[in-house]
This record gives sequence, C-alpha cells and structure tokens, in this order.
Amino acid sequence: MPDPVISVSGLTRRFGAKTALDSVTLTIERGGVYGLVGANGAGKTTLIKHILGLLRAESGTVRVFGRDPVSDPQGVLSRIGYLSEENDLPGWMRVDDLIRYSKAFYPGWDDAYAEELRTTFGLDNAAKIKTLSKGQKARAGLVIALAYRPELLLLDEPSSGLDPIVRRDILAAVIRTIADEGRTVLFSSHLLDEVEQVADHVTMIRQGRIVVSAPLGEIKEAHRSGEHLPSLDEIFVARVGAA
Amino acid sequence: MSTPAAAIAWEFRTRHRWGLIAIAAYLVVLAVCRVRLSAAPEYHSVDTFAFFVVVPLTATFIYFLAVFSYGHGGDLAGRQSIFPPRMFTLPVSDTALAGWPMLFGTIVMALLWLATRVLALWPKGAEVPTVWPALLAASLLAWTQALTWMPYPLPGMRVILTILWLASIDAIVLVALHYRAHEWMMLGILAPNLPLAFFVARYAVGRARRGGASSVLGPQSSVLRSEDRGPRTEDFRSPARAQFWFEWRMYGRTLPALVAVLLPFELAMLWIYAEVPPLVYEMLGGILLTPPFMAAFVAPAASAAMTPFIARRPVSGGSLIAAKLKAAAASTAVAWQMVLIATPLALHFSGTMHIAMAPVDLLIDVFGAPRAIVLLLLAFLGLIASTWKQLVQSLCIGMSGRPWLVKGSVFATLCAITMLGLGFGWIVTDAHRFSVAWNAIPMVVAAAAVVKVIAAIFVISRLRTPNQLLIGVIGWNVVVFALFAILNWSVPGLLLSSGFLLFLSILEVPLVRLAAIGMWNRCG
Repeated sequence: MPDPVISVSGLTRRFGAKTALDSVTLTIERGGVYGLVGANGAGKTTLIKHILGLLRAESGTVRVFGRDPVSDPQGVLSRIGYLSEENDLPGWMRVDDLIRYSKAFYPGWDDAYAEELRTTFGLDNAAKIKTLSKGQKARAGLVIALAYRPELLLLDEPSSGLDPIVRRDILAAVIRTIADEGRTVLFSSHLLDEVEQVADHVTMIRQGRIVVSAPLGEIKEAHRSGEHLPSLDEIFVARVGAA
Repeated sequence: MSTPAAAIAWEFRTRHRWGLIAIAAYLVVLAVCRVRLSAAPEYHSVDTFAFFVVVPLTATFIYFLAVFSYGHGGDLAGRQSIFPPRMFTLPVSDTALAGWPMLFGTIVMALLWLATRVLALWPKGAEVPTVWPALLAASLLAWTQALTWMPYPLPGMRVILTILWLASIDAIVLVALHYRAHEWMMLGILAPNLPLAFFVARYAVGRARRGGASSVLGPQSSVLRSEDRGPRTEDFRSPARAQFWFEWRMYGRTLPALVAVLLPFELAMLWIYAEVPPLVYEMLGGILLTPPFMAAFVAPAASAAMTPFIARRPVSGGSLIAAKLKAAAASTAVAWQMVLIATPLALHFSGTMHIAMAPVDLLIDVFGAPRAIVLLLLAFLGLIASTWKQLVQSLCIGMSGRPWLVKGSVFATLCAITMLGLGFGWIVTDAHRFSVAWNAIPMVVAAAAVVKVIAAIFVISRLRTPNQLLIGVIGWNVVVFALFAILNWSVPGLLLSSGFLLFLSILEVPLVRLAAIGMWNRCG
C-alpha cells in the first residue's frame, strides 16, 4: 500500500489562548479531489500552512509524501502546487520574470505547458503583476502552480472574490490535474457548490476539529431524509453552521 | 462619538490606553516626590534630575512621536506614507485627516511640558523656561508627522529627511540658547513651525490618499523600465541564483542608491572645507560612516519576515537565509565600491589628500609600516563588515514575524542608547567614577563575551540541523581565532592584553544572531 499523500495525526496548534487546530487527524490518499470546508476561522488555512511546512506542529505529526514538510521543505514543496485567496505574488515582477523565477525551483517545469497556460489565460509577458486585475493575478498564480505538473495541488480559497470566468478556469485546472493519473487535489473553499461539483471526498472542519471526513456520496447518503438527498450546502449548515 | 475629531481622539486614547496609564502613573509619582522631597536639597541635583526626569520624559516624548505620527504601524524605511491607509476612505477632508492628529499631538506635548515644569524637582539654580519647550516639542512632533506621512520616491529617504530636518530645528534652538535668546525670541523662532508643518502634512496626506508614491530606484522603478524592456535574460542556473536575484531586486539596491544620493554632497564638502583640516577629518569620518549608518535604516525592510510566496519556495530554510546574506554582501560591496573609488578621487582633486594622509603617516611612525597597513586594512574591513552586519543582524528578529518582538527590540535599543548616553555623561564628569569605569572595561567585555557564548550554546542547541551546526561552530571558531591572531600581532600586547583582544574578537563575530535566524517558522 503506497504512502498517503498527506497524513496528519493529532495535530494541535494554539495562537495564544485560541486553539486553531485541536487534535486534527486526517489522511489523504493518492488521487482524487478532496474538499476542505469550514466557517471563517475554523482552521482550514492553519491546517494548509502545516501541510506546506510554513508552521511547525506544536504537537502531533504532519507527513506529506511520507516526509516532514518542516525538515524537508525541498522534498515536499517541489511536489506541491499552491494557490490561495491571498494572492501574494511580488507586484514588481513582470509575468515573464515570475515564470523565469519560479521555473528555477522546479526540475519538472514544463515550458510548453507553462506557455500554453499563459496564452490560454491571456497573460501578457511584459505586464507587471501589480498592474494585473485580481482575476489575472489568480491566473498568473495558477500558471506557476501548475506548470511543473505537481503531484499535489493545494487550493486555499482560490476563487473567493473572483468572477465566474476565473472560477471556471480554476475548476478546469482542478479537473485537468486529476485527469493526470495519480494526482491529488486538496481544495479549500467557501463556495460549496464548487466543492460539490469537483470533490469526491469532503472534510468539514469546525473550531479546529474535524467533524466529518468521508466520500461525498457517503456523506450525502448519511444525511438523506426520505427521498430528499441534501446538497453539501444543507449538510454544511446542519453539521458546521449550527456552531 | 458624534464627530470625526472625537472618533480620532477616541482611537488614540483606546489603542494606547496602557501607555497613557503608565505615563499618568509616572506623573503621579513625580507629583508625590515633588510634595515629599522638595525640601531636601540633595534631591535637587543634576544627576537626580537626569535619572528621574530626563530619561523617562525623553522616552515619553519618543513614545508620543510614534503614537501621533502612526509610527507603530507603518514601515518607516519604505516609500509609502505611514499614514494608515484605512483612514483614507473616511468621509473627511485632507485637512481633518492631517489636522486632528496634529492638534491632539500638540495638546499632549504641551501638557507633557506643563506637567514636567510643575511637577519635576528641577536642579537648584536652573532657569526653567516658561512655554517655548512645549512649542519645541510640538514643532518636532508636527514635522515628524508631516515628513513621515509623505510618500517618497526612494526607500529610506523618509528617515534621512526627517532626521536632517529635526536636527536642523534642534541646531537653530541650540544656537539661540547659546546666544541666550529671550523667551519671546524662542517663541518667535518656533511658532511658524506649526502652521508650516500643518500645510506640509495636509499636502502629504492628500498625496498619499491619491496614491502619490512613485518610485525612482525601487523594484517598480520607472527609471528601470527601459532596462526591463530589454531582451529577456537567460533562465537561472539554480534555485540559489534565482533567490539571490529576488533578494537583490527587492532589497539589495536600496543601500547603494542611498549612498549614491548622499556621497556627492559629502564629497563636495571636501572642496568647501579644504583649508580647515579638522573639518576635513570630520567629513572623512562622515563619508566612511555613511554605508553602515545608512545600512541601519535599510535593515528593517530587508529583515522583514518572509512572505508566504517566498516561504513556499521548495528549498531549505538555510538556502533562503543564505540568499539574504549574499544579497546583503553584494549590497555592501557595491556601496563600498562607490565610497572607495570616489573618496580618493575627491581627496586628490580637492587638494586635501595630504591632510587625509597625515594621520596615516603618524600611524606608520608609531607602529611601523607593516602593522600600520594591517591596522588600516582592519579598520576598513571592520567598517565594511559592520555595514553587512547592520543589514543582517536584525534578521533574527525581523524574520520571527512577531510585531511585538520587532517593536520591543527597537524600544529596548532606544532605551539602552539613552541610558548609555546618560550613564556615559555621569561617568566622565567625575574622575573617580571614570577611573573605576576605565578599570572595569576588561571585565565588562569579558562578561559580554561570556553572555554571548552562553547565548550561542542556547541558540545552537535549538537548531535542528546537526551538519550546519557543526559547520557553524567550526567556522565561528576559525573567524574568531583569525581575528584574534591579526589583532594580537598588529596591536602589541603592551597596549591591550591578549585576553581583552580575544573577548573583543568573540563579540565582533555575529554567530548567535545569524544562527538564531533559523529558529523561526518559515513564514514567521
């Protein structure tokens, strides 16, 4: 049995008096799209930061591809593509600077694929990142997250505040990524209809604790009320929104 | 809160309530001391006044400067205005945005002076002014507000302009005091500052509100656009090169740019003061201290915590830090290259070379040519290393990403400088104290070196990478002993003991601070 892509065990994280993550245990197997949903401040981003190795686990363990992301950032981050709501690309870079700079870090960078994505998204090579619209910045972030065909694509609220066309691009990227055999997507979002469209496994987090983590079909069946098969939105309100 | 003015006042009061409570408590203590101790003559000495009034009130003054100029939340070394951007969307005029904080600051500074005048135990025979110190404090605050709220084309320019301008006001006041100017004269000199500063502040806020920070030499530079339009450069050969390029473009060019701006003015002074050797020496000292001095202002921006974008680079934390250290080294090298090329040329063409060489000849006479050359090289290398050290030594604090630690370290440094300054004055004015302090220097240096070694052991024990740890320890020892050997050879033991030089060598090598950078999370 191959190692899970992500294995989090008993992860707890506190910021002062606030417990952001409380004994979180989560396993994500290779392949498929995993949706991570929860209210604001539930701990989704903190969990993703631990997966990326940007925060050290105070207690518990985090393993990504069987490695510790804090002690082996090179081995872990080179296999992850990441896009977040808080697009923090350096505004002073031009699009081609960003691509050239990012390429240096990923041995598997595919120039042709990067160029295909850039032209598909209509990004001008000479444009500075700071002059791009929010949607174009998200597209630029998507180019550098996908161009090396990462084994794990991490999307942290990627489409919040974006127009429907950019959201469609992001969803298409998710689908394209999973179409490549063996790749995995972890998709955190408030837009539950989007998660419902693409996720085949959903994890709900509430006040730092995992409340549900199962295949989407199983969750829906478990909440079936007679003939009515509830939407993810209804299940979310029932399990998390009632907090 | 029915008016914008009341809301702005409420924000100052609420956000800084603990600081204001501490200051009020201090003033109460001062009042109690005034009532209880005013009859005792020993409490009216200059020393007592310095420790119980000057130090706390200087700290309070600096605190108010930070509070009313919004210096707590802004990037002083950056180009953008430090006026809080969230306030730009308030439905009030530029006049109100700039005016109310300025008015509140003026009132508070006036009250601070009033309280000091009434409550402090002034030294016997001191002529206590009536009003003008309040006006001086308010003027300094008003100009600090105006100049720090202004957007600038260059990073670090805010700090330079503000220091120069405030120092000019201080110089005018000192000249006036030297000539024993009357209270009315002082008021006449200082009063125009408030309206002038207000007009500048209103313009600054208006400009910042409408996005007026255009860069000249920053990464977004308009000057550099033509270069940017040139042919695309080749791919980076390694992640380390890409990361070095990033650090250089982000922070590396700022120090050379600042030195390039200041250096011509400083060198021009060599022509102006060519006939006055003491001033030539002062100017040379100023020129040689420009890179380390400017580096201190560039360091906060370069030492900021890694952004998530950088923290996600698939390289080790050590590689990311190494890129910062290399970019700082390149920045230092370029800045010093300008100084080391331009200064001898300026000395030659201004006809002041013989003045500059006189101390070198004296050094050769005293120590002999080889030792004198080594000492001079050591001095230059020390200045160059000190520039690099200024750029990187606060990385261990800045990269923690903890604002309280960054601000706390700045406050602690300011307090330490104030205390050291006052302590120095207290020591040198008394022969006995001076003698005791002089004899204690080796012990102080030894104690500091021991503290540093203990800190090194603590920091190194918390690092998780044994190989880097071993390389670091070996490297540190090599550098310390090399420095010790050079010092021991070039400074004869008759002048300074070997033990003293060893401790000095330990203190000079910044191992602990550099090692501590790796202790934090990648993203703060």
